[in-house]
Amino acid sequence: MSVSVKKLVGEIAPPGAEWCGLRRVRLSARALQAKDGRFDLAYDYVDEGCMVEVLYRGQFGYAAVASLDSLALSRAAERALTLARVGSARPVHAFDRSVRPATVAKWETKRAPGRLPGSDELCAFAVDATRAMRSSEKIVRADFLFELRDEETEYVSTSGADIAQLKHVIGYNATAVAREGTLTQRRTLNGPRGRTLQGGAELLDFPAIRIEAVQAAAQAVELLSAPECPSDRRDLVLAPDQMMLQIHESVGHPLELDRILGDERNFAGSSFVRLEDLGTLRYGSELMNVSFDPGVESEPASYAADDIGNPARKELLIEKGILVRALGSLESQARSGKAGVANQRAQLWFRAPIDRMANLNLEPGDSSLDEIVGSVEKGVWMEANRSWSIDDYRNKFQFGCEYGRLIENGKLGQVVRNPNYRGVSSSFWRSLFKVGDASTFRVYGTPNCGKGEPNQVITVGHASPVCAFRDVEVFGGEA
Amino acid sequence: MSAKMDMEARFGRACDALFGALKGGEALAVDFGGEDSTFLRFNHGKVRQLGSVERADLTLRFYAGGRTLGSGVNLSGDADADAKACVALVARLRDQAALLPEDPYQTLPAASGSSREEFSGRMPDPSRLVEEVLEPGDVLDSADADFVGLHSQGPVCRGAAASSGARHWFATEIFATDWSACLPNGKAVKSCYAGREWDGAEWRRQLAAELPRLEALKRPERVLPPGAYRVWLSPDAVDAFVPFFSRMGLSERAYREGSSAWSALRDGRKTLSPKFSLAQDFALGAEPRFNELGELAPERLPLIEGGAFANAIVSSRSAKQYGAVPNGAPDWEGVRSPSVASGDFDDGKALEALGTGLYVSNVHYLNWSDFDSARVTGMTRFACVWVEDGRIVSPIKDLRFDESLYRLWGDKLEAVGCRRSFIAETGSYVNRDLGGSLVPGMLIDGMTFTL
Repeated sequence: MSVSVKKLVGEIAPPGAEWCGLRRVRLSARALQAKDGRFDLAYDYVDEGCMVEVLYRGQFGYAAVASLDSLALSRAAERALTLARVGSARPVHAFDRSVRPATVAKWETKRAPGRLPGSDELCAFAVDATRAMRSSEKIVRADFLFELRDEETEYVSTSGADIAQLKHVIGYNATAVAREGTLTQRRTLNGPRGRTLQGGAELLDFPAIRIEAVQAAAQAVELLSAPECPSDRRDLVLAPDQMMLQIHESVGHPLELDRILGDERNFAGSSFVRLEDLGTLRYGSELMNVSFDPGVESEPASYAADDIGNPARKELLIEKGILVRALGSLESQARSGKAGVANQRAQLWFRAPIDRMANLNLEPGDSSLDEIVGSVEKGVWMEANRSWSIDDYRNKFQFGCEYGRLIENGKLGQVVRNPNYRGVSSSFWRSLFKVGDASTFRVYGTPNCGKGEPNQVITVGHASPVCAFRDVEVFGGEA
Repeated sequence: MSAKMDMEARFGRACDALFGALKGGEALAVDFGGEDSTFLRFNHGKVRQLGSVERADLTLRFYAGGRTLGSGVNLSGDADADAKACVALVARLRDQAALLPEDPYQTLPAASGSSREEFSGRMPDPSRLVEEVLEPGDVLDSADADFVGLHSQGPVCRGAAASSGARHWFATEIFATDWSACLPNGKAVKSCYAGREWDGAEWRRQLAAELPRLEALKRPERVLPPGAYRVWLSPDAVDAFVPFFSRMGLSERAYREGSSAWSALRDGRKTLSPKFSLAQDFALGAEPRFNELGELAPERLPLIEGGAFANAIVSSRSAKQYGAVPNGAPDWEGVRSPSVASGDFDDGKALEALGTGLYVSNVHYLNWSDFDSARVTGMTRFACVWVEDGRIVSPIKDLRFDESLYRLWGDKLEAVGCRRSFIAETGSYVNRDLGGSLVPGMLIDGMTFTL
């Protein structure tokens, strides 16, 4: 670090401001993709800048600039103060410094020793893998993508916050598209960008990944000759890579306290959950335990503190099916008087932090995979998300998966294509009747959760065991 | 120096430094995005968050020895520091590109044209945002409605240049107040006041114009069972479907890779209604015609004419890979400045023509649900009402639709409105988006609702 942001924040704090904070973020990222056995694209970029935040009479104002120059940051601080003054005439809530704690912390992603492959090695692997994936003439596209990000954040304030965090995120995915006649099917590795994790070289087991990529291509071909998923009501068993999406859309977003407080009503929407539901609402069956857990190794939204300096720790949000806590930051907690978590997070340096999911997980239960499948007389197994849609208060949803298998008399059977299901969040989770044990528990993530005005995209993590739901409406495609 | 002039100067200095650092046999394309934005986020008619963002970003494509490497960097505005960073970046790209395999479909920049468009605007003074933007919203108190949304304003700039000589600049000063008025019963109306010239009187007029709609939404909610309903899709609702021509849409690459839901249309296996036509039309003037390589798209490109496929969106890279003819498309091959043709139906008679059915003002969270049949699912959202005998009866409990676009805009498309609305693009992931679409309303006979 060539510039001391700790020194800078003292220099730029404008007279009249009650508090000043400075958040510097530097994203350094690489992306490499091969397609059909050939190089396709490579990116190598840096995005760096600072957000200055100022408190004036209960109102925060912010100004973001792509500079570490003290003069530029002083101007930004003045601009932030001017806007804070403007907003203080009509604030939605009068905040104070307690929502910007003076936390001191240093944190970095845990990584196993070992050198990360260079761009040449990553490209060589991707080229080889996509060549191997095209083992059938029915494969019309095979691609493999690597995304590697190092995100360095420093947060300092005039009240003494001093936080340095460095996340190392690695994502990769293989996509195979198979076509026969007018039918098209695709398979990925656990859904698009589901394999987004924190870590290092230990995440890149090339021989194992190559086998999975080739298997994904074979399954895309297999789906072409599979029957459509039946259209009826039956039990639904979801693999962890679809539970990721189910948790995200129908637990995560409705529990965001800023949505409950109405901030998102013009864009992402509100929530079927009301403030008075906290502590009383039966969200799901007694088997449902959901945690906010920023400490799961390799899960992509692990961190020591959020972007306003609130120290992060594990909290149960849903305990034995009862909603006990929401995803609310210190600001939302101050506005609502409800307990929350450390989740006020921002997209890099140019967006103000808002309530976000981080790692939001369904805790393991005690059923083995065999026990879960064995308990289903008539059902369908679905894995890997490919389509998602839910209403603006996060109740009525419809999700589609890449790959399905019928379950009959306790046994996995026929592969089916275009498996979809729909339901209503508040009743769906109450139909949860089996939760897999730790042996079925998997960790995934996605870098593209969108929310906020102005819009922000952020990385979230979701971990879950296999789960089974009773009597769900399922259906297939039209072909 | 104005913010626009400063951005143009940053872009120019960066190009000089970057192109000056190239060696023989190397080529470079430079894409610029910049803005100096003020964002006022509000809830309950009060300030939730208020701040500013100044960004000036370069996205580069570097070509050397048959290799291609993309990159990106921010410009700080410090001329010397930015110039040094650009020179260092070219050196780094040279080293990194050497590690890559050859790019089999490398398309070196070849454009050499230039253009410059600049549009000034009149924005509210940032010191008066509460008085200019929020206080007029107090009129909604009379309807017991809550005022929520985002006001953004300031210059937005785009540029493109290439070592082949192309140099383009587009700068505009715009605002958008994207807002909703929410009733205690959960019903809401949504609107957007956007443009270059802020007019306080017009803003107050638009706010007041929503009061009658809010009154209608206070009536008891009608819960409709799933089924097929006769529907009027407002221009706002139609606009929500337009991205499905971009996402797995009319891209040449998507078609060739089995990833276009419109393959059946292109192959002639299916058609849409003769009433449906779509073009890319830059005469809207809302966004520049140039792409990241400095290539210009035609001012108008028909995509679907009279229900039949007309043209794909083709980038230079796809053209080289598939032997197609490029049409100035960006590498992502999405539809820019979409324009859906108007029809001959008098929109003023929408309720009367609808008779009994759903007036859908807005839809939410659309996604492909069955790719091969171009089926899309989504939800009704703002100000959707049940109509009987041409009269609004009640707001509806929201419904999920799941319908093939081949049917929606095929045999179910009864009429297309004669008046089109310009729907401004208000997205702001990373940068504030430019552009918008020109779309009519549509009368649909038998849209499928499932939940």
